[in-house]
Amino acid sequence: MAAEKIYVFKRFERFWHWSQALLIICMLITGFEVHGSYSLFGFEHAVSYHTVLAWSLVTLWVFAIFWHLTTGEWKQYIPTTDKVVAMMRFYSVGIFKGEPHPYRPTKLKKHNPLQRIAYLGVLLFIGPLLWLTGWFYLFYGDWAVWGVNGFLSLEWVAFFHTVGAFMMLTFLIAHLYLTTTGHTPTAHIKAMVTGWEEVD
Amino acid sequence: MLKVIGGFFLGLIVIGVLAYTYAGSLMFREIESPFGVEETVARIQQNIQNTGNGWALSGLRNPGKAVQNDGGNVLPVMMVEACSTKYSAPILKDDAVRFLSILMPCKVSVYKKNDGKTYIGMMNAGLMGKMFGPMVGEVMGHVAEDQAKFVQFDASKPAPEMIKGMPGAATGAAGGAAAGGC
Amino acid sequence: MPARPKIILSVAAITAMLTALVAFALPAKPEAAPAPQAVATPKKQSDSTADHSKFKELQKNFKTGPEVTEACLICHTEAAKQVQHTKHWTWESKDPKTGQVRGKKNIINNYCTAVLSNEKDCMACHAGYGWKDSSFDFSVQKNVDCLVCHDNTGTYRKLPGDAGHPVYKRREFPPKSGKFVEAVDLKKAAQSIGMPSRTNCGACHFFGGGANGAKHGDMDSSLQHPGKYLDVHMNEKGLNFFCTECHATKSHEVSGSRYNTSAAMTGPAHIRGKADASPAACQSCHGDKPHPQKDALLNQHTDKLACQTCHIPEFARNDIGTEMSWDWSKATIMGPDGKRMVRKDSAGRRAFDSQKGAWVWESHVIPEYRWFNGTSTYKVIGDKIDPTRTVQLSVVGGGPNDPESRIWPTKVHRGKQPYDVENNYLTVQHTGGEDATALWHNYDWQKAIGTGMKAANLPYSGKFAFVETELTWPITHMVAPKEDALSCAQCHNKNGRLKDIQGVYMPARDGKHSSKKEG
Repeated sequence: MAAEKIYVFKRFERFWHWSQALLIICMLITGFEVHGSYSLFGFEHAVSYHTVLAWSLVTLWVFAIFWHLTTGEWKQYIPTTDKVVAMMRFYSVGIFKGEPHPYRPTKLKKHNPLQRIAYLGVLLFIGPLLWLTGWFYLFYGDWAVWGVNGFLSLEWVAFFHTVGAFMMLTFLIAHLYLTTTGHTPTAHIKAMVTGWEEVD
Repeated sequence: MLKVIGGFFLGLIVIGVLAYTYAGSLMFREIESPFGVEETVARIQQNIQNTGNGWALSGLRNPGKAVQNDGGNVLPVMMVEACSTKYSAPILKDDAVRFLSILMPCKVSVYKKNDGKTYIGMMNAGLMGKMFGPMVGEVMGHVAEDQAKFVQFDASKPAPEMIKGMPGAATGAAGGAAAGGC
Repeated sequence: MPARPKIILSVAAITAMLTALVAFALPAKPEAAPAPQAVATPKKQSDSTADHSKFKELQKNFKTGPEVTEACLICHTEAAKQVQHTKHWTWESKDPKTGQVRGKKNIINNYCTAVLSNEKDCMACHAGYGWKDSSFDFSVQKNVDCLVCHDNTGTYRKLPGDAGHPVYKRREFPPKSGKFVEAVDLKKAAQSIGMPSRTNCGACHFFGGGANGAKHGDMDSSLQHPGKYLDVHMNEKGLNFFCTECHATKSHEVSGSRYNTSAAMTGPAHIRGKADASPAACQSCHGDKPHPQKDALLNQHTDKLACQTCHIPEFARNDIGTEMSWDWSKATIMGPDGKRMVRKDSAGRRAFDSQKGAWVWESHVIPEYRWFNGTSTYKVIGDKIDPTRTVQLSVVGGGPNDPESRIWPTKVHRGKQPYDVENNYLTVQHTGGEDATALWHNYDWQKAIGTGMKAANLPYSGKFAFVETELTWPITHMVAPKEDALSCAQCHNKNGRLKDIQGVYMPARDGKHSSKKEG
């Protein structure tokens, strides 16, 4: 089987991906401690780590958005209906029978249709939900100055922030599972490290 | 084969984690007191004096006072110190285990926690003793039995007065041998 | 042993890379501030322009307190009139919001219960002379006691039984104790006049409830010479504040009364510059955003928490302690010999007395926390009660949805005291004195209540029983060094200090039930 290699993930993209992964995992760990699910670092430290991580992630996102806009890579996330049904059939049935993957990534279209939808959902929904609620959570003391005191309650801000966190966690688990579904369990992960995806 | 070795090491790790987690609670014991700090101290002191076996009070330490003198605060903590030459002498005579003198005198710690309740902290003398040979094991076994009596309270009796300072020599309550507050 | 965190920690060790990154993000520990150098000013130098020992009006061998006052009034013509408008004189206070008339004269508490019929004893702490019953004339200027607040010799003493007069003759006190109290040298006292010291205020406020520290818990004789650990402001080797430093006084009106607490002051510090704000509130010097920018998160708490909540982690932080309960139903129980019996607790504090009942004391008390808007409603003499439940002698006002409320630390003093079973009000009892109906002399509740209720002008059915009561007071003294303020997790925790506080979302405390009802 002669494997063809294509360069799918550029250097910045890989840096972005892995540092973002690290930050998000750390934020989940510290965030659920702030939420009260367990105690690990101690509440006070968890809060300060969580805050530092949040600002780091914001910074990373600013760079990432700039990069996506200037390189035109944002187009990778435009949703498509092409092959969606075939994909869903593959992940629910075909994958367990050893059928070939119905999508073949290219340089220009590196994400399959389900990835596009999932990543777009993360970028357009889960992310903003967390940013927005996190922002209000962090600047609770300024609500009165902003005039939002009357219709915001910390309880609901925290609730939706936690909802966002659970969605992110769900995404993370699904994402981790699907990375193992290449032609070898580590194929996709290797690609994300080196940038080169083997396409058969 | 790999699986066997892997399983062995995994088992080692699990045991390590368990030991790390529970060792502390095996070496020491903490119980809740039905009384306030001062009354718990006073009742333990009274129990010690009534236990016999040469037990005498050798001190009442208040580490919180030192913190206060440095301008800080801690919740109250008082250490009742007791000594029995009957048990200390054999250990102190044996060069191999004389280092165990760092565990003397026998201490019972009484303290308040943030829940407002009073707790009693003690060393698990029985278990600790077993780690240092049969002689120490036996002595510490007796200490453990007596220690259990220190914290058996009779609530129907009125609260005794807390004894401050170093009363061992002064009262000579339970056996002159203890005079000098070993 | 908290096992779970350690297991989690062990697992987390596997993700060492992650934790390493987090550790890297750890904000640098703030540099330890250099310990303030002890300023050797234990005694404040008087900077007054008048030396009272040189006044010819005071070169007199005064025989009584009122004589001294008359001498004072020769120069200080308005002083008595000013005092006569204050609570220190009237023992009465009207709530500006609710209109309720309270004050020591009118309320019933669960310490010594009520003043009526016991004036001769209680008035040892009245800033006046001669209030022995309801016939006292509040307009007589010479009966204002200047010395109790302004004597700087520290020798001025007023004892129970004298209706507010100082000790004129050497006498044994407490009776049959073998201890003697010297007669006050009124001339010396008058010539020593100065600003009230901690001794002056403390003479009454440290010993309320009949014993050192009994009443308040955040005020006792340890504040006479406090160390830094006990009170950062009054620290004798540090700022060395006197009471009047915070309780700034104008026209003899002392600011900062518990009866009208400034519970939720907002805005920047103004240090006494704002006429309508309470000078005694923390915020008057510290503002409502007192923490530095690096601790900005702490400033976000000031919309819900009183400063005292974090900065007075425990009160009665000494061996003196404070009284937590007073059970009057145990009074009149005599010793085996049929005589008065007295017992002390393990720390040497009063625990039982046939005259007064049973007490429970505690040191380093962890406060109970309540929403409080500064207005308390008190049970005054004659107020109806529901004896089927614990009677609240003071209800701290406010709640989570009231912007004027903050979570405050309080001392809750629990008690058992008599009430009229048919009329359903708490009784007034005649306790002090040597006469035929005084409880402490005759050990007869019926007679004592009869006399007390007559003095209160209230009908008494002749039947009494004991009811459980609670008295809730905000705590505000004994501010600990900042290092000893509550740490985050002491409240942000499922079993933390504020676990019973309703109506506020607290991260880590409310996490598991984030959608539960709002209070």
